[in-house]
Amino acid sequence: MAIIDFVKSAGESFRVGWKIESNWTDPVLFATYQVIRPLASLLIVAFIVIIGASSVGASANSAFYSQYLAWLIVGNAFYAFVLQIMLGMAILVHVDRTRYEVLKNIYISPGTLHPYVIGRGLVSVVNGAVSVILTLLFSVAIFNGLLHMNIPLNLLNVNLLMLLPAVILGIVSLLAIGYMLCAVNIVSNRMEFILGDSVSGIFFLLGGVIFPIALLPSYVQPISNVLPITYLLNAVRESFGLLPTASYMSDLAYLAVTTLVTLIIGIAVFRLAEQRAKKLGLFDRKSEY
Amino acid sequence: MLPKATPREELLINLRAAYARMWVRLRGSNREITGLVAEIGLPILTIGAYVILYRAIGLPPTAGAAVIIGGAMIAFWTNVLWNMSSQWFWERESGNLEMYLVAPVSRMSVLLGMAMGGSVNTSIRALGIVLLGIFVFQVPFQLADPLSIGLVFVLTLVALYTMGMLFASIFMLYGREAWNTANLLQEPVYFLSGAYFPRIYAPVVPFALQAAGSLIPMTIGLDAIRRLAINGEGIATVWPHILALIACTLILFPLARRALNYMESLGKKEGRLTLRWQ
Repeated sequence: MAIIDFVKSAGESFRVGWKIESNWTDPVLFATYQVIRPLASLLIVAFIVIIGASSVGASANSAFYSQYLAWLIVGNAFYAFVLQIMLGMAILVHVDRTRYEVLKNIYISPGTLHPYVIGRGLVSVVNGAVSVILTLLFSVAIFNGLLHMNIPLNLLNVNLLMLLPAVILGIVSLLAIGYMLCAVNIVSNRMEFILGDSVSGIFFLLGGVIFPIALLPSYVQPISNVLPITYLLNAVRESFGLLPTASYMSDLAYLAVTTLVTLIIGIAVFRLAEQRAKKLGLFDRKSEY
Repeated sequence: MLPKATPREELLINLRAAYARMWVRLRGSNREITGLVAEIGLPILTIGAYVILYRAIGLPPTAGAAVIIGGAMIAFWTNVLWNMSSQWFWERESGNLEMYLVAPVSRMSVLLGMAMGGSVNTSIRALGIVLLGIFVFQVPFQLADPLSIGLVFVLTLVALYTMGMLFASIFMLYGREAWNTANLLQEPVYFLSGAYFPRIYAPVVPFALQAAGSLIPMTIGLDAIRRLAINGEGIATVWPHILALIACTLILFPLARRALNYMESLGKKEGRLTLRWQ
């Protein structure tokens, strides 16, 4: 019964979150909004490679650059999950506590905050999934269709049996990190505008999104090796055939372990924050800038 | 009936309003040290990723210098979007907009104050980004003509913040659209302005893209600053950039003024100037 109630509350939270995120405009403009940002991010890195190739006198169609571009497109596309979940969940507590002033009402309702946060996080997951799919489709259309660059990226050849477990585990780990961001914001009122950008920026630099982590200075590579995003992107690229598939099982195992650890820490941190907020009366604290 | 203020009195009161708004912005943005540290440190994460990407594809270190300048200029664009364009939205949400509207000053003087405060604040952060970037990534610069760099930089800021004043007027009646539109104008402008490219006006970049990017003053200013600070070129090579930046300001300022009057009048007619939680 408790599980049914949890799922029901999370579902309602998802419905509210979806309306807040999408009903500010008409569906066409909303869809455009969902596409333009990730597409622009992708075009930035793609043009860096194209301009880079021309600067060193090579063709962007050469094997190294086209292979690298495919590697980069996939990493950048799936990074949309990180951006959507981190930015969405980092601002959630601030918006509900300070702007709409409903956090206290949600807290005292029977469902508690947990399913609410999960439901709102799932809205970011849906937004992220839409961005990933559209970015991949547009990439193939632009680089292979319009620019005839013959990038080795065939969306019909993706191994879904390899892709889906990695994406599901990756999303769970990102939601757990988002849970931690919510926890930090419950007990703080100064971090909401920088937390999401900070965490997603660290993942962008250290997670192997646009370059292999082997190119990082050796003293920061151990940090990359404990981030779930590193293994998520490795496993995703393996399912796209852009990395040797021999490492897939070990990447998936590392992803499962880092996800489990993140989940445990996420829940523990959230519970601690919840207790502290209750003790100090932080659920209805209002801050203005 | 109150006596009509002389033009001198009117000018003085508007300058005082601009100064007061600037002071609030300076004080408000610098009282919180975590914000200052984050605004300097966060861009370094993205800049670092692009510098390493450049190294991965075999570009020279000057490309890294171009990215550092681009990253610093992005701080200004972010400031224009979130602290100029969306400002009337924030003010309405916190209940201050009606106070601005009943004050006996031009709304343009309030926007001018925001722009001055924002540009000073962001200059401090941009300087921090450039210095930290040079220290961490050890990239080369050639400052042959610092005065010209200063001139182009100031002209770029004036044009950019004038664009911010225009956006502030257009965003005036936005509800959640303000938040989403500001979000929407981030990455596409980073792309069009060539902030993370070694240079936007390169033969390999399609002409349509260069033309679209040139509608944003930051693109023009950024290219000129890179030519002066990285390539060691003189002011003679950036005259077209200087003229284009002056033209941008001369076009955008009257547009901002007209847009502000129109949106204010529309807001009054539709009763949307005090509407919250849209």
